[in-house]
Amino acid sequence: MSLKIPRRTRSLFESPAVATGDIVFNLLIFFLVCASSQPDSGRRQELPRSEKETQEKKQQKNIEVAISRTTLSIGEEGNLVDSTLADFPSRIRQSLAQRSAAKEDRIVVVRSTKDTPYDRWITITGMIEDAGGVITLQLQEEREVIVP
Amino acid sequence: MKIARRTLKVEVPTVAMGDIVFNLLIFFFILARANDDSHLKWLPAESPKIENIGNRKASITVDIDNKVYLNGRQVGIRDLQAGLEAALGNAPAGQRIVLLKIHKETLAATFEPIMEAVSEAGGEVVHVLQQEQK
Repeated sequence: MSLKIPRRTRSLFESPAVATGDIVFNLLIFFLVCASSQPDSGRRQELPRSEKETQEKKQQKNIEVAISRTTLSIGEEGNLVDSTLADFPSRIRQSLAQRSAAKEDRIVVVRSTKDTPYDRWITITGMIEDAGGVITLQLQEEREVIVP
Repeated sequence: MKIARRTLKVEVPTVAMGDIVFNLLIFFFILARANDDSHLKWLPAESPKIENIGNRKASITVDIDNKVYLNGRQVGIRDLQAGLEAALGNAPAGQRIVLLKIHKETLAATFEPIMEAVSEAGGEVVHVLQQEQK
């Protein structure tokens, strides 16, 4: 009578199960670093040096846009006309269409009140740039008023 | 009859060396990015047109608490221009990108002086925005 003993097929080079924790940890860190280094996306903006209120006389012939939290106006030489956000793209295109393609003729002076939120400012300046305008900021100079 | 004593060899496990080196590498990589501003809380404004941005030289963040950060470090608006000039150095045009990560509800009283400082320092403004969802 012969007894068959099954041969144990055991690989000599089994991967050590102890290292599984390390492998998982390393993979976790790898994907964490990958996720944190995602490239940013946004919009470039060519911004010439700011214009102060004192240079207002020089800027009279430029297109002006005045932005506040609730209102929006567009015009030339200080004659600003109220506009809505929906009408604004056509109005700015209309104003720029009357000007040459030269960069200095396409300057749009943007004046914002201090309570203008950034998202509104971005929307409006985006419309100006899409219409081919070159944005220049006009900042209000701080004045110290002494109350008697 | 003398029975020879078995000498046990205790060896430092070298299997884990690769893992240790890899972890150290990541540790130093994260340290090198110490000026990272990913921990700051802010919500980007939306825009229909956005593009991928190349390598930046500096980044300015205005968080939801209206605090201003240059490369992850809190600064005052008055010190921003000097800080930017130092960060930009003599980098040529095209490589002077300054990312503006401004919280969408920030008011012009804060973000306009920042833009002025970037402009005066000779930086190229890039607004970090989110794709508008229709």
